[in-house]
Amino acid sequence: MADETVFDFLHSELVNYVIEQSELKNKDAKDEDLSNLEYLGFSTGYRMIERLTKEMPRFKDELDTMKFICTDFWTAIYRKQIDNLRTNHQGVYVLQDNGFRFLNNISNGKQYLELAPRYVTFTCGVVRGGLANLGINSLVTAEVQSMPSCKFHIQVQRS
Amino acid sequence: MTIHNIYIFDHKGGLLYYHEWNRIKQSGMTSEEEAKLMYGMLFSIKSFVNKISPIDTKEGFLYYKTSKYTLHFMETPSRIKFVLNTDNNAQDMRELLQQIYSQVFVEYVVKNPLSKLSEPIQSELFKTKLDAFVKQSPSFLAKPL
Repeated sequence: MADETVFDFLHSELVNYVIEQSELKNKDAKDEDLSNLEYLGFSTGYRMIERLTKEMPRFKDELDTMKFICTDFWTAIYRKQIDNLRTNHQGVYVLQDNGFRFLNNISNGKQYLELAPRYVTFTCGVVRGGLANLGINSLVTAEVQSMPSCKFHIQVQRS
Repeated sequence: MTIHNIYIFDHKGGLLYYHEWNRIKQSGMTSEEEAKLMYGMLFSIKSFVNKISPIDTKEGFLYYKTSKYTLHFMETPSRIKFVLNTDNNAQDMRELLQQIYSQVFVEYVVKNPLSKLSEPIQSELFKTKLDAFVKQSPSFLAKPL
């Protein structure tokens, strides 16, 4: 239990630090600049993949890769699987986590909803980084309507 | 059996949280004044108990009892203080306080990055969890005396 708490606390300090830095740099900006946090997530996810897939066969297709993200990858980081995966078969995937770890202890409704983006941005980066190392360029955004549930939208960029 | 109310104080004596379930008599003070008075009394009892004790005590002050109610006290090593008033029949309140600390306070205040640790608790999630936790304990029964 304690080892997971370290990750939780470190993550929340990371969020505080990035917010503080972005406020110092850009005082008048209305929106918080979370791009650094997203990038930190990206490099983390990129490296995670190397470690997690070292003994795995290659993935059949894109959907297979997404399934891996929802199960093994998610379990390795958050100790649970994604609750729901949906796709339109045209490169858009929606991953739904009904009890997202970083939101579980914050609220179970609308309180603090305006601050929720801070706590999901890192994970968007982790997913994007993971996919990038598996050869899928994507755009990952998160949507929180009511805590602690969270939807991650993945848009695959085809070129 | 009844649980009347709970106070949570931080290490400096600031009131973090107060909630009442079955409180029949009000003190007639503002809640800030009441919290200060409560903390002052606990502080005195603690030092009194430690000074007057004829042997070395591990836990120090645990509870006091009047003819009508019992005040249960628990202090964590980090000096957070939990105070629970119940009627005189309530059992195993130390265990309940310990659980409130580890399963509600630590989970929904300490692990909530948006809760400042030395300010009164605002989190709705903490409030609902604490309320549910106390209400499911066997000592809680809404029966006015």
